[in-house]
Amino acid sequence: MHDLFKAELLRFRGWALGAFAAHLLVLAFLARVVDLAQQPPLVYRVFGGVYTLAGVLLGLYQMGSYRRPNVWLNLLHRPLAPWRIAAALLGAGLAWLAVAAALPVLLAAIYQAGLTARVVDHRHWLLPLAAWLLTACGYLAGACCMLGTRKRAAAALVLLIALALNQASGAWALLVQAVALSWLVAMLVVSFRPDLSAPPRSPPATVLLALPLQMAVYVLILLLQFGGQMVWIMQGSHPNNTATPPPGGQNETERMTSKQRMLAGLAASTAPQAPLWREQVALSDVTGIGLDLRALPVRGALTNAAPTDFDDGKRGVRWTFSHDCMCLVGYRIAGGRAAGTLGVGAANAAFPAPTVAAGALPGQPRDDRSLIAGNMLYHYVSETARVLPRIRLPAGEWLLGTAAVGTNLVVLSDRALYFFDGRDVVADEKLLVPRQRMPIPGAAGDLRDLELIELVDGYLVSASFTQYAYVMDGAAPYQTLSWVHDDGRVTQVARRAIAFDYPAWFRYQAWWPSPALYEVRQGALGLFATPDPMQATRPAPMPRSIEWLAGLLMLVSLLASLWLVRRRALSMPARVAWVLACGVIGLPALESLWLLYPALEAEQAVRLRPLAV
Amino acid sequence: MPRTQALMIQIATGDARPISKQIVDGVRMKIATAELAPGDQLPSVRGLAQQLTINPNTVAKAYAELTAEGWLESRQGLGLFVAAPRQRLSDSERDRRMDEAISAFVHEVAALDYPPQRALARLDRALQVLSRKTA
Amino acid sequence: MADTDYVIETRALCKRYGSKLALDTLDLAIAPGRIHAIVGANGAGKSTLFRVLLGFLPPSSGSARILGRDSQRLTPADRGRIGFVNEEHTLPGWMRVSAVTAMQRRQYPRWNQRAFDEVIGHYHVLPEQKVGQLSRGERAGFNLALTLAQGPELLVLDEPTLGLDVVAKRAFLESLMYSSAAEACTVIYCSHQMEEIERVAENLIILERGRLAHMSAPEAFCARVSHWIADMPFAGPPPASVPGLLQVQRIDGLHHYLVLDQDEDFGAFLRDAGARSVQSMPVSLDRAVNGFLAKNHAMPVAA
Repeated sequence: MHDLFKAELLRFRGWALGAFAAHLLVLAFLARVVDLAQQPPLVYRVFGGVYTLAGVLLGLYQMGSYRRPNVWLNLLHRPLAPWRIAAALLGAGLAWLAVAAALPVLLAAIYQAGLTARVVDHRHWLLPLAAWLLTACGYLAGACCMLGTRKRAAAALVLLIALALNQASGAWALLVQAVALSWLVAMLVVSFRPDLSAPPRSPPATVLLALPLQMAVYVLILLLQFGGQMVWIMQGSHPNNTATPPPGGQNETERMTSKQRMLAGLAASTAPQAPLWREQVALSDVTGIGLDLRALPVRGALTNAAPTDFDDGKRGVRWTFSHDCMCLVGYRIAGGRAAGTLGVGAANAAFPAPTVAAGALPGQPRDDRSLIAGNMLYHYVSETARVLPRIRLPAGEWLLGTAAVGTNLVVLSDRALYFFDGRDVVADEKLLVPRQRMPIPGAAGDLRDLELIELVDGYLVSASFTQYAYVMDGAAPYQTLSWVHDDGRVTQVARRAIAFDYPAWFRYQAWWPSPALYEVRQGALGLFATPDPMQATRPAPMPRSIEWLAGLLMLVSLLASLWLVRRRALSMPARVAWVLACGVIGLPALESLWLLYPALEAEQAVRLRPLAV
Repeated sequence: MPRTQALMIQIATGDARPISKQIVDGVRMKIATAELAPGDQLPSVRGLAQQLTINPNTVAKAYAELTAEGWLESRQGLGLFVAAPRQRLSDSERDRRMDEAISAFVHEVAALDYPPQRALARLDRALQVLSRKTA
Repeated sequence: MADTDYVIETRALCKRYGSKLALDTLDLAIAPGRIHAIVGANGAGKSTLFRVLLGFLPPSSGSARILGRDSQRLTPADRGRIGFVNEEHTLPGWMRVSAVTAMQRRQYPRWNQRAFDEVIGHYHVLPEQKVGQLSRGERAGFNLALTLAQGPELLVLDEPTLGLDVVAKRAFLESLMYSSAAEACTVIYCSHQMEEIERVAENLIILERGRLAHMSAPEAFCARVSHWIADMPFAGPPPASVPGLLQVQRIDGLHHYLVLDQDEDFGAFLRDAGARSVQSMPVSLDRAVNGFLAKNHAMPVAA
């Protein structure tokens, strides 16, 4: 086995060292120009994608070279167990992938940590391991694809998709990658046999191979649906693309201006002040409340959901947030020398959550910044290089953005809207106390548009919840109009129900093909992940018709499987298990049964008939 | 110490006669034409097989047939040698076989429509090879 | 029940590819020892048979046993007793000859260095050469040396001299037949070059369309086939009525019949059918096999 391993190492030595050199050059160049540890997620996704693709190509090439029947026979016909042969070949590939993919990243991290003043947290030291895990998963998936029969070749790629979409962060993300890697290793060991065309023999092997195959069929169904949507768009009758959107629907609401939305909301109001408000809306400026954060940073995450650094131009210092000390670490923009650390207040205490810099609050000097960290908002004073807490929201809420409304300050969290007196902001550096608090009448994920106007006696706030109204995760769309009184009371003056633009079967298209696999998909995407507060929704109840549809499809699958299972070479317990699976999982299971097991040929085989002489 | 005598026979693939028969015929011819004298040692099984590039078992079969018919004798530990000439077949058997050979020859001549006199002349020339032995 | 009598035994072995039967209820039993030759036209099922026997293809029905073991359940130890050489002579092209030899030596506990040296001596192969640089003939010889030195009980060669030049071919056959290792094992030699078969085979196995058509010593098979030439004034008897017919051709107005298992009575049959003169002669092995296999092929249009 060691001989085979060393032989395979020798085979790829040239390519691996070349890839290592090229990769190192790219990273070296980039490291001179930017801080590799503080890049936006897209950069890491691109690199991760390249690693995975490289792994897939290596797996396809290596196993492809051994796949031909004569070469395969030569490889496996030796006094060595097949799993050992596989271990030798794959071990060589994985070793070189570590050198080519992980080692340059490690060297770049060492360079940044040792030779620059840039921040390199513990989470960044996990990046080389993540690089290796990604490329290893791609490699094994490519190898599995090559070893499978033509009908089920691409099933292993499903695991790569799951890796790309999974929501876990930090070390948990690595755990997810390790889980995917283990599954792929198991799939490969089960497939690596002299007889490549045979279906899996034991129940665990069948599950190992059948589940990704079923998920692949499920993904294919989703893709087909997506393709159908493209056709719909091209045809011109897609609600998103028609010249005039369907009346009373979500598209119409989304395309309105802020003013139109408020008027639409008022139209549904029965409050006595409604006509007066309509005039006011027509005359005044409607302020939209936007988000300062696109996504919430997670402590210990490998990538950076939100920007982690900001520049203090006047001082010439770049402050980077470090997850290890939960403080800001600075270095000179010109020259790169370290410039100390910065915490909260005089004691330089640690921040409670990863910090994102936003623009300064209205009235504060231009060089100052607001620092958003969890439920806190800090004021970074450039002149004294101090960070002072200004806003503290209730624990568990996430501060998402600030906006100036007239002379006052409005702060948005995932749960509520807070109104602050603008004069308090600049008066001193004490903690601000909100004048009013308006709970958001819905989930943060559903909320799409938030706008308000200032009234004589308070604010009129319009909130429309249409963000995910086109999929099953979203709430049934609606718009509310709330009157925030000066004394802090909040009354809801209007609630306008908005119609679905898309029919139910469209919204639930990910669910009805196979409810069971939908749950598996949700489980896979959320494995080891903490739920994102910004994406929390209150899904609308599932219509009965969709449940009937799913049930009908499951029944069809069950009946079809009874017929299909008779024409396959399976033992009775296996047949029962498959029929049950087809009933529970639905059409993808049926398709996987058809793909995994070759049909029994008809008893009357066609023999080669001698030509009549 | 007897040395192995060279055995100058050829075999041809694609011939109607099997290879072992070709070897038997070849050895018999060499003995009949006195190229191999009684007491000469023949090449070993492996040796002849290597010389002709054929399966040693084929040579072994040919040698076995020749030994059974009495052309060769095996000496313990030394190898195969040409046997002293002696009559192996009864007279009637010899006559019968002679008749068979003559009959086959005559049939060929008839089928070829060869003038019998010329056939006889050619036969005479061919048989002179054998007479060298008895001379 | 240990079936140790045969090195290869198949019972009603069938293998289907779609609607085509590559192996059709094949009943084959090969006893140990000797060199067995398997002959058949392309597509007769030879390569499929070996793949099934070595466990790389599942049979559609029937059973296949090799060295007394079920083909589908060969253990690594079993594989160590079976050597396999095919026409590709697959070897890792990027490695050196010495490295490949060392790897092979470590894998097989019964490594026979003498046998290896014997065989490799026929070829001009240096230890530090890369396998990819060897010529086809040298690679074939190296592959054979490696396989023979394993000390296999059963050696299967599937058209190993395909594409080799005359010198290399002869060297290969010599290595195979005269090596000490080849004496101890059963050799299955698969080829469609009759010249080789004639030199090498002690047992002739003919496969035709996935079935066993014949198995015996080559001479015995040859003796069954005879070539009759008849001078017939008319068209001659219809082919379907000719007993034991393998091939019929009309050349220069004479009818040439290649027939199986016919004696002098066939001459009488031809005369009864109107032949003016009839002659017969024995045939060579490759003519006999060719005729046997061509039995079911189309005939050229009468001249």
